[in-house]
Parts: sequence; C-alpha cells; structure tokens
Amino acid sequence: MAEDGDSDQFNGRMGLIFASIGAAIGTGNIWRFPRMVGANGGGTFLVPWLFFLFIWSIPLVIAEYAMGKRSRTGTIGTFRIFAGKKFAWMGLWTAWISTAIGFYYAVVSGWTIKYFQLGITGALNGEGVDTTEVWNAFLQNPGQVIFFQFLVIVMTLAAIWKGAKAIEKVNFYLMISLFALLFLTLFLSLWMDFSDGTLDGALFMFTVDFDMLFEPEVWINGLSQSAWSCSAGMGMCITYAVYMSKDEDTVLNAFTMGLANNSISIIAGLAVLSAIFAVNPDPLATVTGGSSAITFLALPEVFAQAPFAPIGPLFMMAGFFLALSFAAMTSMISTVELCVRNFVDHGYEREKSVALTGVALFMFGLPSAVMWVKLDSNGVAFPEFLEVQDHIWGYGLMFSGLFIAFSIWKYGYLRWKSGVEAGVAPPGFKGYLGFGVSAFRDDFINTGDNDMEVGRWWDLLMYLAFPILFAVLMISYFTDMIANTDDVWNPTNPRGLGIILMFWGVVAALFISFNKFLIRRPLYRNIPIGAEVDISTLPGGDDDLVVALGEVAPGFEHLSKDGSLSKALEAELVG
Amino acid sequence: MMLNGKVVRTRPSFGVLIVLPLLLSLVAPIANASVAQDEPTGTSPEDIWSDDYINMIFPWASANEPILQFKEYHTYETMKSRMLRLAEDNPDIFEFHEGMNGGTNARGEEVTANAYEGWYYGHASPWMKITADVQDGDYNPFVGDNGNYPERHDVMIVGNHHAREWMSYTVPMMQLEVIAFSYDNIGYDNDGDGEIDEDPWGDANGDGALDDDGDCLGLNASSQDSNGDGTPCGPGDLGVDEDYSEQWITDLVNSREIYLIPMLNTDGNIYDRDVYMPGQCPNEEAWDCSAAGWRKNLRDNTVTGVTPLPDLDESVDEGCDGVDLNRNYQFEWGAPLGATGPLIPGACYAGQNNDVYNGPVDTVDQDNDGRLNEDHVDGKDDDADGLTDEDWLGGNSEPETKFIQDLTEMNDDTGDGSSEFMATITHHSYSELILYPWGHCTDCESPDHEQLKYHGQQMADMTQYANLQSSDLYPTSGDFCDWHYGVHGSYCYTSEIGTAFHQQQEDIDHIAVRNLGTGFYIAEIADNPRELADLAIANISQQNYLQELDESDIPAEGDIPIDICVSNEFPFSETNSKIKWRTVKPSRLQSDFGPREWATTSWESVDVMAEGDCSTSSGNGTVLRGMIPISETATGKLHYKASVSTLSGSDLYQYPADGDYYVLDLSYRAAYGSFFGSLFMFALTAGFVWGGLAVCLRMMLSDDEEIDLAASSAQDGAEK
Repeated sequence: MAEDGDSDQFNGRMGLIFASIGAAIGTGNIWRFPRMVGANGGGTFLVPWLFFLFIWSIPLVIAEYAMGKRSRTGTIGTFRIFAGKKFAWMGLWTAWISTAIGFYYAVVSGWTIKYFQLGITGALNGEGVDTTEVWNAFLQNPGQVIFFQFLVIVMTLAAIWKGAKAIEKVNFYLMISLFALLFLTLFLSLWMDFSDGTLDGALFMFTVDFDMLFEPEVWINGLSQSAWSCSAGMGMCITYAVYMSKDEDTVLNAFTMGLANNSISIIAGLAVLSAIFAVNPDPLATVTGGSSAITFLALPEVFAQAPFAPIGPLFMMAGFFLALSFAAMTSMISTVELCVRNFVDHGYEREKSVALTGVALFMFGLPSAVMWVKLDSNGVAFPEFLEVQDHIWGYGLMFSGLFIAFSIWKYGYLRWKSGVEAGVAPPGFKGYLGFGVSAFRDDFINTGDNDMEVGRWWDLLMYLAFPILFAVLMISYFTDMIANTDDVWNPTNPRGLGIILMFWGVVAALFISFNKFLIRRPLYRNIPIGAEVDISTLPGGDDDLVVALGEVAPGFEHLSKDGSLSKALEAELVG
Repeated sequence: MMLNGKVVRTRPSFGVLIVLPLLLSLVAPIANASVAQDEPTGTSPEDIWSDDYINMIFPWASANEPILQFKEYHTYETMKSRMLRLAEDNPDIFEFHEGMNGGTNARGEEVTANAYEGWYYGHASPWMKITADVQDGDYNPFVGDNGNYPERHDVMIVGNHHAREWMSYTVPMMQLEVIAFSYDNIGYDNDGDGEIDEDPWGDANGDGALDDDGDCLGLNASSQDSNGDGTPCGPGDLGVDEDYSEQWITDLVNSREIYLIPMLNTDGNIYDRDVYMPGQCPNEEAWDCSAAGWRKNLRDNTVTGVTPLPDLDESVDEGCDGVDLNRNYQFEWGAPLGATGPLIPGACYAGQNNDVYNGPVDTVDQDNDGRLNEDHVDGKDDDADGLTDEDWLGGNSEPETKFIQDLTEMNDDTGDGSSEFMATITHHSYSELILYPWGHCTDCESPDHEQLKYHGQQMADMTQYANLQSSDLYPTSGDFCDWHYGVHGSYCYTSEIGTAFHQQQEDIDHIAVRNLGTGFYIAEIADNPRELADLAIANISQQNYLQELDESDIPAEGDIPIDICVSNEFPFSETNSKIKWRTVKPSRLQSDFGPREWATTSWESVDVMAEGDCSTSSGNGTVLRGMIPISETATGKLHYKASVSTLSGSDLYQYPADGDYYVLDLSYRAAYGSFFGSLFMFALTAGFVWGGLAVCLRMMLSDDEEIDLAASSAQDGAEK
C-alpha cells in the first residue's frame, strides 16, 4: 500500500461518490419526501425542490468538497484552517450537531431493521394485522428497540473500523442494493396503482398546480427539503473530501451527489405515493400524516395489498424496509465517520476513536430509544424524547451551513485585503467585488482539476442567495413555531423555541470557551501523495501546530516518543 | 303620507311599490277561485264559526248599522258622535275630548283652546282618553283630562294626519270599538267556534303561521282567502288572529293611559269628503274616483293681502293652500332641503311639491336674544348658549301639530319634564308598510335602530306588511315620528295601511281587522320598548343557528358555503355579520419521528350574503351564506363559526356559543392531475435529475482513467 500513498484515501472517485450519496440519502428521502410532496401540491413541490437543489444544496456541497480537499482534515480542522484559529469551535459545532443527530438516528435506523425483519418474516402482511398494534408493541418494548439500536451501531462500527477503503466498499454495495430494492418496490407500486386503470399517485406527483406555485410556503418547504435531505452543510462532504485523490473534481462530484440524491427521492416518492394512492380512499390525508406514521403504519397496510400474494407483499415489504435500512445505515456511517475523523485529526487512534464514538452513540442514544414513549391522540406510540432531540438539533444543521458560508466570506475579505497591500488586488468596494468575492472560487474550486469551471454564479449564490435563503428559512420556521406553539419561550416546553435556544446557547458557549484548548492540540492533515497544496494563505494556515500526517508538531515531540501517536498515525497511513 | 301622482312619477321604484299590491289584489281572487273548484277538501266556514263572524258582523252594533259594522266610512260627524256614545256607555274607561283647554304650555307660550281648532271648519281634533277609572286619577288642567296616573305608561295613537287617508282613522275607530266591547268582557268567543282566546294577534305559538289555532288553515282552499288579497289565511282573513284575549286588552286598559286621536286633521278630512272629491268626481264615490284626494290641512297660504289668518272669507285655494301636517313637526324641520318639501321653506309654488308644504318659516325670536332661528330643533345646542332647540326655524305652525306637541309635552304625569309617551303609532295609508325613524336622513341609523326595527318587524309580521326605515321609502322631514322619537325618545311607528287612499267600501272591514293588532302592540310595549326589544332579540338570537356540515356537504369544487339561519324576527345586519374560519393544516414543523402535527391558521372572516329562506325553531329565517375560500387542493380541517350582528352592530351573537366552533374535515377535492401535464412534468424532472446524473456519471467515467469501482474492488479482493 505504501506506493499508493502515505495517507488514507478512496480507491476511485466512484468510492467517494457512493460514500457521499450514502451520506446524503437517508430516511429523509424515503419517508420525509413523500410527505412533503403530498402536503405541498404534488408536482408543484418538485419545482422549488429542484430549484433549490441548484441554488442551495449543490453550491454548498461544492464548498464543502473544496474546503475538505484543501484542509485535509475533518470539520474542526477545516474551520481551524479556513475560518481561523478562533473559529475552530465552529467545526466542533458542526461535528456535534451531526453526532447529536446520530445519537437518535441510530435508534431510528434500528426501527427500519426491525421492520425489515417483520417484513421478511411476514409478520406485517398477515390477515388482520393491525399495524398500529405492531408498532406500539415494538416501540413500547425497550429491549427490542435497544437491541436494534445496538445492532445498527455495531454494523456501522464494523463498516468504518478500517477507514476509507471499507467505507467505500460498504457504501457501494448498500447503494447498489438500495437502488435495486427501490426499483423493485416502485415496480410493484406502479403495478398496484395501475390496476384500477389510472396512475393517480404518479399523476399527482407530477402535476403542477400553478396557483399553488405562487404560495411562498411551498417554496420554503422546497428549500427545507433540499437543505435537509441532501446533507449539504452538515460537514459530511468535508469529511469525505479528506479521502479524495489529488486531482478529484469537486464540482462534478457535487453535482453527481446532488442529482443522485434527488433521483432516489423521486423513485422513493413515486413508489410510496403510488402504493398509497392505489389502495387508500383518502390518500392525501394519509400522506400528510406524521412521517413515521406513513412509513410504519400506512405503508405496511398498503404493501400488504400488493399483487402476486403472498410473494408480492413479502417482497414489497421486505424490499422497502431493507432499502430504508440501507439508506439509514449509510447515513449512519457518514455520521460516525465525521466524528471519528475529528478525533483522528487530533492524533487519536482510529480504532480507539471508533470504539469511543460507538459507545457514546449507544449510551447517549439510549434515552431516545426508551424514554418518554407516549401515545398520541390516535393511540399511536411515539418516542417523545427522540422527537425533542430532533426538534433541538435538527435546526442546528442550518448553522453548520452558515459557518461554511462565513468561512468563505472571511477568506474572500482577507484575501482581498492582503492582495491590496501586496498591490495585486484593486482597492475599493469594486475591487473587493472583483477580487475578494471570487477569491475562494479562484483559489479552491477552479484549481484546474475540474472538468467544469465554476463561474461567477457560485459567488452570487454564496454571497447573496445563501444569506437571504438562510434568513427566510430560519425566520419562517421560528415565526411558525412561535405562532403555533403555546408557551413557546418556556425552555421546559419540549416543543418550544426556548428549549432550542437554551441548548444551542449552552453548547455554543461551551464550545467557544473550549476553543482555546482545541487549538493547543496539533492538527494532523491527511494528505495523499502529490496532493500537497499551500494553505499558508488561509486564516489558520500559518499555524505551527497544523502539520501533515507523519510530521511532528513542535512542542509535541513527546507524543511521537511514547509511541502512542506514531501507532495511531501508522494505522492511518496503512489503512 | 302618500304623495300625489306627480311625485310618484318621478320615483319609478316607488311607483312600482304601489302598483304591485294593487295588481296582486286584482289577480289573486281570480287565480284562487279557479284553484278552489279542484280542491273541495277541508271544512267550510259554516262548519266552525258563527254566522255573524262569517259575515263580519261585529258584536258591538247591530247588523244594520253599516258604519258601525265598518261596511261604510265614518264621517267626522258620525265618528265624533260614536266616540261620545262610547264614552257615555263606558264612563269608567273612556273620556271624550276635543282639543285641550290650553294655558301656559311647556314652551312658556300662552295657548287658548281655540289654538287647536282647524283653520277652516273650526273643529279641534276629537280624542279619547282610555284608561281604567278614567274619571279618577289626577286632573291635568292644560289637557283637561282626568285619569292621569304616574305609574301608567302613556300611549299615543294618531290617525288621519292626511285628510284623504280614510283607513287611517277607521283603524283607530275599530280599536276603540274593540276596547269598549272587550273590556271586562273576559272569555268572549269572537268567532263563535266554542273556543276562547285561541288565536291572538301575530304568530303567538311560533309555528310560522298567523293562524295559531289552525281553523283557517283547515278550511277548504276556496274559503281560506276570505279578503281576496291573494294570501290564504293571511292577516284580515277569516279565522286569522280572530280570537284575541279580552283579559289582555283589559289588562292593557288597566295599566296604560291610551290617548287615541282617530282624526287629527278634521279640517282636511271634511274638506276632502265634502268638497274636494265631489269636485273632482261629481258623480262618483271617492273610492271610485281617480283623483288622489286632499292631503293637507286647510291653512290659507295664498297671499291675498288678507291677513291675519285664518282667512275665512276665501274658499280654499287648492293649488297652494294647506300644510302637510306630517311635515310640520319641528324636529329637523325643513331639512334636508329638497327632500320632500318646497325648495324654499314656506314658499308656495302652485302644483310644485305643494302637497308636502311644511308650513311657514318661523319669524319669532323665541329666546329674545336678538338672533332669529339660531337653534332649530335637532336635540343639539346649535348656538352653544346652554339652551337646546330654543329658537326654531319653523314647524308647529298648525293647530293640529300644536295639539300633538302640547298634548305630548303637557301630559307630564310624573312631573319630570319628559314625555310620558314611550310608544306611539300614527296610522296612514297606503302601501302596506310599517315605518320607523329616521325619516329625515338617508343612510343613517338611529341609536335605537335595531330595537325600533325589531318592534316594527313584530307589527309587520302581524299585518304582513313590509318593515322599513322611514327614509328608506323616501326622506321626509318634520314628520310625527322623527319628532316623537328625536325630541322625546318615544318609539314611534308610521303604519301605511292598505292599498288606496280611499279604499273601496267593501274592503274597510277586513283591512281594519288586519291592522287592529298594531295599536294594541304599541300599547303593550309602552312600558319599556327598548328593554323589551333587547330581551326579545337576545331570546330570538337563540333561534339562529349555524349549519353544521359534514364532508358530504362540501361542493366538488370552489369555495365552501357556510350557512347560518337567522330568524326573520332577529334584526340582523348583513353587512356586519361574518362567518369566521381558519384551517388546520398539516404543520410545516411536522417532526419526522413524532405524531401528526397540525398548524392552525389565525381566524379570518368572510362577508355573508342573504341566500334564500330557512326555518328556525319557531318561524321563518333568512339564510346568510359566507363563502369560505378553501382551495380544492387543501387538506386538513376547517374550523368555522359565525358572528351575527344586530343592525346597529352593538351586539354580536356567536354561533355556536361563545368560543366554540364547528370542525369540518377537508379532503383533497382537486383532480389528482392531468395525464399530459404530469407526463410533461415527469419528462422534465426525470430529464433534469436522471439525465443530469447520467451526464455527470459519464463525464466522470470517461474522464477518469481509474477503473470503475467494481474492478477496483475486485483488485482489492485479489490483493487480499
């Protein structure tokens, strides 16, 4: 492997792509997207959803790839280098949000595996099966929920134990299977929907209601679906970009990943909607119901009526939930990897980091798995603690995106200032617009490795569209929440805004104060051979403690002496 | 109150209003007769009622006295002698008067008894004081009447402001007969059917029909419309409201002081009957003559140099003489200019709006402050001198209006300086209307609008006349009711009786019967009309109901109509009533893992429109419909409630009860899509996303010299 390079990297760009797609595709595509389509006028929703893929998601992913590829570190290191020493905490925030989501995401992933098991054993499509009973019985059984949560974590850890190469392989097989399974489900769904001579679900999903197209809410919902489902801004792509080979095309990768994500959404959406429209008398009421309710209550009922019984329903049920669990699993992998990468960057052994992360995931996920499992007004069980976690940390994702934008803005400004001092950049606001605004793009995106040259549009989107959309998204969500929630400011109200702001405040304060300890640690960059690039022009690039993997950071020679670090580094190099 | 022919022609809509009932009354009996032969079912009048009742032979006189049987009109003379006779026969409840004694009136003027005598013939208006023990109680030296009891509420019933409106004194005369006959005659069976007091005025049992005992409704069809007005079992038909309670009438007489003035305009009435109509149609009876008749009193307006008035040397100048008494009261006298009066107050142009001449402009500086007419009567202190309405512009110039004004202002039993008359009615003809203040302003509402309208509606229900604000018919100024209400706060109604000034003689009896209830109703509410109306409105408001819909009521497309049925007795305002609604939509904040969440929008309201009829628990109602703009693509729930406003908007009634609302599940109503539209969109989306993905992958593969992943992993495996 030595001739392959000194660092851990993906074998081919397909590996990166599959890993990224795996990160992007999660339950959001399969159980959130159909609900959003249902609630926002069918085909109408596709317009803003597609629009924002190009306006929001892909530009952000481009930025993430560019940053990760240059910094060659996880999120903390990337922000330390790109935003400056004082802002390493932003990376910590990004990592924390992803990990905090991972705590309960493992539980949710466990549900999907449980449902695969139920599906394959035929427990869901027997005569007189009450899906609500099945669901309640499962959710109210802590042992079961914990078992499947544990299973997910173990499988995830196994997949990433060995680093990039393993991740690549696991993601490849899971993604290919996911595609195949979804196509199988789609085929059966369309068959069901067409059995009455019409394709209601497909018609609905692709019919644009032009009146509705002018409703702002549809656009905000399209933006939110694009922002959350694609994982743009979450730091996943920063993490995976660390493993990029030197001449990787960041732009093409970003487009591929975004389009692949939306492709899966369309297939999953079509499959779910067609199936529900085929058998449900009031399909839209069902589709707009809570998401987990569609997935675990409505769909099993619908799938049980699939053609070619008993094989058809069995295939459909098992296939769909297997696909869902694969989608969840690949997202889980990227979540853990994001966390682990940050540990490794700071000189911890990979195995230790993975084990630590796994234990943390399991421990901190336990409350979400078993606490506050309640019945809603329809008698359907739901895990309220999990929901509160989602409520608090879900919105925090948006700030990770904002921090990325902040780094870009900061870099542009500093670059222009130093350019003016050096006499290479024109002074004045016009000069800033010309030199500063395009600096990030010039320096990190259009590096010559690209098939596609990124034009001025990207600057416009990052500098103008992003902040506006960010504000619209956050303000509209929070005003909605304020308008629709009683006692919204009370931090003990699990559905309020108060609890969100409190947790964010505490976490942000903690991370900001922890920043000075963070930057005292050396940061090891994972640089593949021949991929050496200058980072000295970056705000945090002239830090002595930022060194390439295999180098020794000044003042930390003792680490190499006691062997623990060198052992850790060796593992990475060999990986 | 009716205007002459010339004015009518300038008001086409009003003309239609007059002609329509006429046409209906012509057509209806024919139509009804032809139907009658086909339906011989039901009883005939002979089966249930006495012969006297069937032939409308009233019990207070023998059948061969056509005037007392209301088969012929009273004249001034017969009316007066009948009143004297009744007073003589019923000395405990009736006291006859003509005009008043006079003295110092409420305005400090010295008035003699002859000030109330007609200009021309010299008669004061005859009137009857009606109350129990009328000879006892306090004596009022100015008015000259006994039987003043501070605790008894006073009622004023006035007929014949306008000379030619003969039914307007006939109805009060019949009321007098009924009181005389019914007082202490408890349990009299008016219709001889063996039942007692089974059908009082109005829809007493609230079943929506005036015929409370159902005797008329049970008749065979040919007998149901005995008065031939086209409405079977309507007011004035045999068997409808025919057996009122004598006890109730007795109680009213015991607890009220009724001032019944059947013929205010004696001068004009005599002139119309004896001079004017014979002059117009020498060989015809007044009711067969096409001439409208004489309207005003007989003031001598012609400037001949012969002053002071009255100018008894001259005959009446029909082009210019006379004052419209119902324009001569002082409240907002003469205003607005050009409403229905001469353009220049006091001026006379022969044939030009002269029928509504409101009298001369005042020339006296009543308050001796050197300024003339600076504070006309409008309830405000126009000149800010601390006195209100003390130096008027005009009005009250006629003996008849002075009589009404002084009777009102000097009949102060309680001595508190305010009028005792809480409720008043003046009969007019014709048009089949009940009118309530204001008359002097258009697009305006009095402070008691909804209460006035409420009582008006009660009387309109009784007579099946239309209930209108006076000025909605046409603006008038200086009329009786604006003055009574505007100056003295009395709930005052103008009833426009019948379908002609000189109604055909054979119609006298049933039209009088039809209008008999209003005078009693006014007497009944005279203790506190406002509070009674408020209570009744609140009570009626409970009859209103909001339609509760279920999903099957949602139209396949378009807005969702929400109906509220509002009782016709309820004085609702269409403009101020609203249907309020909000939706509960799937929440945008829906958690991916939690239960279904809803987002509730804030309440919005839509206007309502009257949309046909409905029935309430006790009568007819009007559907007020609001169209809720719910998109066909909407899902979720609709919450709705209604707020029905009373006329003035002072009260809002909520349906269902306060704070509550109805919930309607909304399902997706639009088509799921069009084939070609969705095919296009699918092609577009698929082209964009899958096509884009394919392009990207191709670029990637062709660009990358690295082998694809399958190969690389195969190699990987080989290494191991």
